[in-house]
Amino acid sequence: MDENDRRLMTKLFSSYYGQAELGVLGIEQREFGVGFSRKIESRHLAFAHPSELRNYLMNNTPFFVSHSISYYEHPSATPMEKKIWKGADLVFDLDLHAEGKYGAYMLLDKVKSDLSRLVTDFIKGDFGCTDVMLAFSGNRGYHVHVRDKEFRTLGGEERRELVDYIMGNGLNYRDFFSESGDKKTITKLHGPNPEEGGYRGRFAKMTLKALGDDPGSIHKSLKEEKTRNVFVRSIMDGNWSTSPVKKNSELIERLAPIAKSLPVASVDTDAGVTQDLSKLIRVPNSIHGDTGLIAKVFDASGLEGFEPLRDALMPTNQELKVKFIEDVPELPLRGEATGPFKKDEEKRLNLAVAAFYVLKGSATILKGDAK
Amino acid sequence: MEDKELDFALRYPFTDVARKAIASTELTESIAYLAVERIRRSLEGDMRALVSFRGSDKEEAIASFAASRMILGYLRNSFLTSRFAVNEAKIAHGWLDKADEKEVDAVAAIFGILTTPTKEKGRMLITLPIYLRYSPRSVDYRITNRRLVSGMVEITYHEKKRLAEEAVKKHVERIPLVKDPPELIKNAAEKLLESLPKTQPGMSGNALASGAKVEDHPPCVEKLMESMRKHENLNHQARYFLATYLMAIGMNDEGIVQLFSDAPDFKERTTKYQVAQIRKRAYSVPSCATTLTYGLCCAVCRIGSPLNWHTLGKERKGYIKQQVIGSSGSVMMATTENKKEGAVIDEGDAKSVEEADT
Repeated sequence: MDENDRRLMTKLFSSYYGQAELGVLGIEQREFGVGFSRKIESRHLAFAHPSELRNYLMNNTPFFVSHSISYYEHPSATPMEKKIWKGADLVFDLDLHAEGKYGAYMLLDKVKSDLSRLVTDFIKGDFGCTDVMLAFSGNRGYHVHVRDKEFRTLGGEERRELVDYIMGNGLNYRDFFSESGDKKTITKLHGPNPEEGGYRGRFAKMTLKALGDDPGSIHKSLKEEKTRNVFVRSIMDGNWSTSPVKKNSELIERLAPIAKSLPVASVDTDAGVTQDLSKLIRVPNSIHGDTGLIAKVFDASGLEGFEPLRDALMPTNQELKVKFIEDVPELPLRGEATGPFKKDEEKRLNLAVAAFYVLKGSATILKGDAK
Repeated sequence: MEDKELDFALRYPFTDVARKAIASTELTESIAYLAVERIRRSLEGDMRALVSFRGSDKEEAIASFAASRMILGYLRNSFLTSRFAVNEAKIAHGWLDKADEKEVDAVAAIFGILTTPTKEKGRMLITLPIYLRYSPRSVDYRITNRRLVSGMVEITYHEKKRLAEEAVKKHVERIPLVKDPPELIKNAAEKLLESLPKTQPGMSGNALASGAKVEDHPPCVEKLMESMRKHENLNHQARYFLATYLMAIGMNDEGIVQLFSDAPDFKERTTKYQVAQIRKRAYSVPSCATTLTYGLCCAVCRIGSPLNWHTLGKERKGYIKQQVIGSSGSVMMATTENKKEGAVIDEGDAKSVEEADT
């Protein structure tokens, strides 16, 4: 990005920050970090009021702005221990890794189902959290900010335990089962029922789903409706003894693929982000300097309809002419197929779309077009 | 104060009831002596509680707990503080085991450990944040295999007492700095130091029979050894893992026992026996998958077994260590003990935020 590009991008960012909704919960207790050419070049900044932050961003216009997940008594103090830690949001980072500069953008939709499970099943369902904010990261993923007060004082190790839970680390589904009766009599196998919460209930539900979708995968006799129905009904009561598999241990082993699918279907969250209490995370609704996309906050109920490449672009109807300096693939930007573009191709594009390519280092603003 | 309350305070000297019981008690030589004894007994792992019969004796015994904390706050010795906290917590657990449900509830409630019974006898629900805060970091307490619904975790009555023990430990080890204590406390602190053995806890030697260098270990082992150095209490799985690993890389029993002497509940005889048993039975080092289950894995090494660390090149090791989860430290870890950690956080976070804010 040359000086001309940078100057125009700065003007664009500054203009956005003049009207952006930057609601940072407990702003006066947060540490801020900013960067002009990379994510963090300077930190230990603090703002007492939202208007102070807005003025700073309009006048200094960093390309990246982050705030601490922690709340401090003295957020600008150094070294860290002088800040006096008061608590921290519980933050989860869902990140996409794909080949190529633009590979991840095609997969953003796929991570949404993981995000939905993370929020609905784990954070709200199992953990019982209620104050949950979702934001697009501004590039290749999503951030989940949990602000429930009861969770704020958890330490790093305790947060790691939550991440391990979400990722299914240490999950041993065999512990879900217990036997009663002695060897001479029929041994009853007790297990989870689908009404239970957490992994136990999830395991029971997944087994019932497997019995519906592909019963032969557990045992060939379960293809028979009558046999299957008996087993299904007893699982509903937590009784796993009515399967056609004679030995309990054998049945449990046959269910291993179901247990294995639980963590796989889980969310591969970035443990470091959740665990590290000194972490800085992008300010929600600020602009990501590598893309020009807004780290847009959205409602969990609107997750299905949220499309980052359509909904997280800066709102503008202005246009700008750019020249591509490398080939770029087709992308669904602003709700319409955009590109592909070839190297040296000149194109007049919506300002936010043009900014995306310029900041990605794929295009440059044509001289004379920048005002 | 009624006898009943005084007895409660004697059993649980960290409570507000105890504080009230000694509100007008003056610090005496006798209390300072008892305080030194209390700390010394914790070093020996003597979990017998102080038994007193007369009212004034009881008050002295309760006050000795407060005086012990003053001594420790003055000495600022993390080893002594950890040993003291672990022992006091174990004493409290001993009382809780004998106590009726009402008393257990009262002590647990001090730390916010409130439970509601489930339909199943002997089982109860506790809020997730409180459970996470006070559950021991052991595989038995991992939430992955527990009943967890809407932020409530199911526990047993026995586990409730174990949580309370952990809460007592955490409470007792938070001792404020005492800069200028009364002369009696200063003298008691000196007496305590004089009576301690003059050996330095920690590892001896810096080379092992296998040729592996003492300072070169996989991140999971380094983290445990760092915890040892800070006199933090490691759970059973962590100790077992550390012992088998050190044995496998060629450390002798004496060296391993020496290393474990930093543990807050160290008992030389027991440790020697356990280390000898591990060697005799030739237990193998847990695989990376097992350490993950134990909650001890903290990096993505992809080496299958921690022992394979020593087959990696210098560059690869350096790369893995950079990626260690939480390597940038945390505010909780950045204590006054090590001011350098602040700087590490600053550098590390510039990196970590790049990873986070993609």
